Amino acid sequence: MLKTEGLGYWYQDKSEPLFQDINLTFEVGQSYAILGHSGTGKTTFLSLIAGLDKPKAGDILLDDRSLKKIGLTTYRRHDVSIVFQAYNLFTYMSPLNNLLTAMAITDAEHAGDKHFALRTLNDLGINEDLATRNVQHLSGGQQQRVAIARTMACDAQLVVADEPTGNLDEDNTKEVIAQFQKIAHDRQKCVIIVTHEPDVAAQCDHQYRLENKQFTQLA
Amino acid sequence: MNFFKRAWLNVWAKKGRSVLLILVSSAILMFVLAGLLIRSAAVKATDQAKADVGATVTLSANRQAAFKKMQSSSSSTSKSSRPKMTLTPVKLSDATKISKLSNVKSTNVTSSTTVNAKSYDVVSTSTGMGSSNGGPGGMKSSASTGDTQIDGVTATSLTTAFSNSQSKITKGRGITAADKNTHNVVIENDLASQNDLTVGDTITVKEIAGDKAKVKLKVVGIYKASSTSTSASPMSADPANTMYTSYTLANTFKGSKYANTADSVTFNISNPAKVSSVKKAGKQLINTSKYALSTDDASYQTVKASMANVKSFANKIVWLVAIAGTIILALIVILMIRERRFEIGVLLSLGEARWKIMAQFFTEMLMVIVVAVAIAGAGGKFVGDQLGSQLVSQSTTTQTTATSSTGQPGGSGQPGGNGTRGGAGGPGSTTSTTSAKAADTDLDINVSAVDLAELGGFGLAITFLSIMIASGGILRLEPKKVLIS
Repeated sequence: MLKTEGLGYWYQDKSEPLFQDINLTFEVGQSYAILGHSGTGKTTFLSLIAGLDKPKAGDILLDDRSLKKIGLTTYRRHDVSIVFQAYNLFTYMSPLNNLLTAMAITDAEHAGDKHFALRTLNDLGINEDLATRNVQHLSGGQQQRVAIARTMACDAQLVVADEPTGNLDEDNTKEVIAQFQKIAHDRQKCVIIVTHEPDVAAQCDHQYRLENKQFTQLA
Repeated sequence: MNFFKRAWLNVWAKKGRSVLLILVSSAILMFVLAGLLIRSAAVKATDQAKADVGATVTLSANRQAAFKKMQSSSSSTSKSSRPKMTLTPVKLSDATKISKLSNVKSTNVTSSTTVNAKSYDVVSTSTGMGSSNGGPGGMKSSASTGDTQIDGVTATSLTTAFSNSQSKITKGRGITAADKNTHNVVIENDLASQNDLTVGDTITVKEIAGDKAKVKLKVVGIYKASSTSTSASPMSADPANTMYTSYTLANTFKGSKYANTADSVTFNISNPAKVSSVKKAGKQLINTSKYALSTDDASYQTVKASMANVKSFANKIVWLVAIAGTIILALIVILMIRERRFEIGVLLSLGEARWKIMAQFFTEMLMVIVVAVAIAGAGGKFVGDQLGSQLVSQSTTTQTTATSSTGQPGGSGQPGGNGTRGGAGGPGSTTSTTSAKAADTDLDINVSAVDLAELGGFGLAITFLSIMIASGGILRLEPKKVLIS
């Protein structure tokens, strides 16, 4: 589904890249974990495959089509869904409106379907009462579940998550990772999670470690 | 059009911020509206001034030509027999021709003379320089000047003194066109009080020309003259000794050869802007070597200049407030956008187009502006009234000062004829007339649908410019930098 071909990135000095010549393939129905210490460039890698930034070298292909040709805005709207460590929800809206807004922007199949949005939230433990409150009145775990529900409500085949359990306790972490697995296996999406926690990575189908500017697949 | 819903949700959710924005926008728009109202009121007032203040064209003897004629004859005659300046009385037939021109609203025939009191006592004025109860100054022979001034007119309401409210009828009525060929008279209040005269009484005067006959006059009205209308020149008569009659009676007092003539004829022009064209057309109808047409649109010009100042200032208010308002709102929007960088980042990460994000902010501000326009519409009239009255009073003061310093010509002199009648108008009276008229011109400030539409246009433009100025931040924003730190 998603391929990186000779992918490389550096900030100022080309001779000191964060990573270079990365060739990876990500498939639907699978979950992937990208492990690495702070500063190794795993979040930068995520921003490239999420279409938030452009690679300095190489290319990213979605179903054999270059993101350059698709266009980053179109790619973000239709093909990728992002979950952030800080949730990044619309703070002046309820969970329900967060979902409806995302569905409208991404032209999702169920755009405007309030019942579908409520059902999706309910699947993640956000009942109708919680769904109609302002998101700021929800706990961190609940907010992260709303963020995950947002990705589920949209039709994007690729879900990328940046440290999605970074602000959560152990129970919520388990719950969130279980949801990502469901998204990958039940909804047949490709889930890529960037994390520095080996326990979280261990629950994914595939694990890669970014070290010394290269990705290494872990057994 | 998802951004409409987002805009509404944001405005509703952040009520405090929305209220503050409404208050700031209302204050800005209130001043814009005040400027717009003053401007449109000034335009209306100028138009109204054309109708109300009016302007006049006066037909009278050509003094300049008569003076030149006198000079040329004096050089050819001996010093012992000094020539006299002879002014030809205006023929009413000439005046009738001019009165038929378009834009001539009304005509007032004026014929003045003096008579002597017979059945009453005139009011004496003590000036400290001896008492003066004679007739008006001018080219009269002092030996044959009567003690009562007779101002023959078509109608008292058409005279400057009455139209400017310097003189007011207190009892009975004024002279009208219906008093032509009658012996009806309107006398001054002080004269009436001193002689216990009232409406319906009869008084007797004695002519000082012709057969010097005694003539009985019927008092049909009593008027009160303003004490400021006449200077205290020792040459002038006490205003209490001035009586108004029909011009036909004044001509009778002057003598038979003055029948169907007048000292001057004043034509009131319906549109002051047409004064010049009426004067030009009128000159074609008269013998300009004997008669002259003079114009007086000073009142109109004063009001026009005063309103032009107000209009110009109002224009400056509108533009200054609009520019300042745009800057203030742009700064607020810039700050608002800065604090919403995460929201913009999330929208961009979802694939939202940047123009739609700008459209969301524009819609939010539009909602605020719509409410602000309504508030400004309600409060703008109050601010406009306050500013307008202040501006008019300042502007009128300035104009009056300017008028007084430049000086105004005196009223047209009345032909002397045989040297025993008529008098020149005193200088200085026009200044007070002009300022009185200008002060009367008030701004009628009302909020109309057009004003509100114009205000809405300004609000829209201010909002659009503010968003455009502030949107540079949105266009440059990189979602990666905002969302992934």
